[in-house]
Amino acid sequence: MKKHAITLTVNGEERDLIVPSNRTLLDALRDDLGYTDTKYGCGTGECGACTILVDGMTTINGCLTLAATMNGKSITTAAGLARNGHLHPVQEAFIENDAIQCGFCTPGMVLKTISLLDENPRPTEAEIRHGLEGNICRCTGYTKIVEAVQDASRRITGSNVSAIGE
Amino acid sequence: MSSRVMRDFDLLLPESIEETIALLARHKDKSAVLAGGTDLLVALKFDYSIDNVISLALVPGLDELDFDPARGLTIGAKVTIADVLRSQDVKDNYPALWQAAQVFATPQLRNTATVLGNILRASPAGDCSAALYATGGSLLLKNAKGCRNIDLDDFWISYGVTARCVDELAISLHVPVPAQGEKSAFRRMTRTTEDLSKINAAVCLQMAGETCHKARVVMGCVGPTLLRLPKVEKMLAGAAVTPELLRDISNVVISEIAPIDDQRSSAEYRNKVAGVLVKRVIEAALNAKENDQ
Repeated sequence: MKKHAITLTVNGEERDLIVPSNRTLLDALRDDLGYTDTKYGCGTGECGACTILVDGMTTINGCLTLAATMNGKSITTAAGLARNGHLHPVQEAFIENDAIQCGFCTPGMVLKTISLLDENPRPTEAEIRHGLEGNICRCTGYTKIVEAVQDASRRITGSNVSAIGE
Repeated sequence: MSSRVMRDFDLLLPESIEETIALLARHKDKSAVLAGGTDLLVALKFDYSIDNVISLALVPGLDELDFDPARGLTIGAKVTIADVLRSQDVKDNYPALWQAAQVFATPQLRNTATVLGNILRASPAGDCSAALYATGGSLLLKNAKGCRNIDLDDFWISYGVTARCVDELAISLHVPVPAQGEKSAFRRMTRTTEDLSKINAAVCLQMAGETCHKARVVMGCVGPTLLRLPKVEKMLAGAAVTPELLRDISNVVISEIAPIDDQRSSAEYRNKVAGVLVKRVIEAALNAKENDQ
């Protein structure tokens, strides 16, 4: 099987790696580069635990992306959201609204929320639920997650913090 | 390590359409084309294996999503569902396609999955495919010998099987300019939005006042391919669309479909709701306000 030399910028850091053709981006992030905050859930693009941001605010499923097709891309995972020791406002909103139980879906939920609020800073509840359809949570029943997104929306629009938190 | 590991294959990364076609000519049925990958990679994690995966990631000239009031809509091979959803031209001129894109899978999948991939997958549950079958369109296919256009009406042969030859690359889809008075809509039924449709329907009606001149009516998940409903189309053609006609149409639909039991629904249920769904999708097309489609 062919191997491919690629460079990824992950959370602002340039990383060179060599991947076999069938390596998913998720496996490259977790097993080759150590970004285990990106989770493996279903492996078939349904649960959203492997959600990452690519080249800005585009969310994709790492489990359905071949690492070798991503040469030169810039990737943000949940581990890259904090700035100067402070969590991202969306992360803070998830904590303060108790939108986390086991925490497995949380990195994907937080990244999807950041992308959602970037596109639509003041979403309605229906828009939030539609926007998070690709992220499954088996603990919370979603009520507290929706509340956390609403709270995050207030934090971001109220304080002029850009969605990426810089 | 993921529990679902893809079988070995070589990933080929051509950098032009010509190079892609040369690879297809060399590897033929030993190759699969990767655009969004949301179907192909899932298949590769289950029961599908292939020697060569030809990625379009580095191929330029396949990103075009262009509407021209004189020529119609062109959708390139790498245009995603999310691209379609962001297009005001699609929303204004092809409401059935826009509505299908809106409820297509999940935001993450919409960012990756392509419209042409949905067509090439040849699933009877394809939402964007159903909408495009109703509006009509033709695919531009290219191989080493040249190009050909094939109408969507002739493209789907059976479940997962299309008229594309193994050495052909799908370049783009062309959708004609909407006819005067054209109205279209898409509706589907699922348990949750993320699920594949248990049944879907799309219509494209050419209206003059209350009278329908021409209709294309499509239903999905009720046969091995997406189906047009010729009896319903005939009932609509030249007729005033009255509540009585819609009731009669609703009763006829069951004679034109052949659903099966599968994990998403039963044949019995699909037969029961099909007529209602067709009635509702026609009503949705007719009731759409000019600026609210």
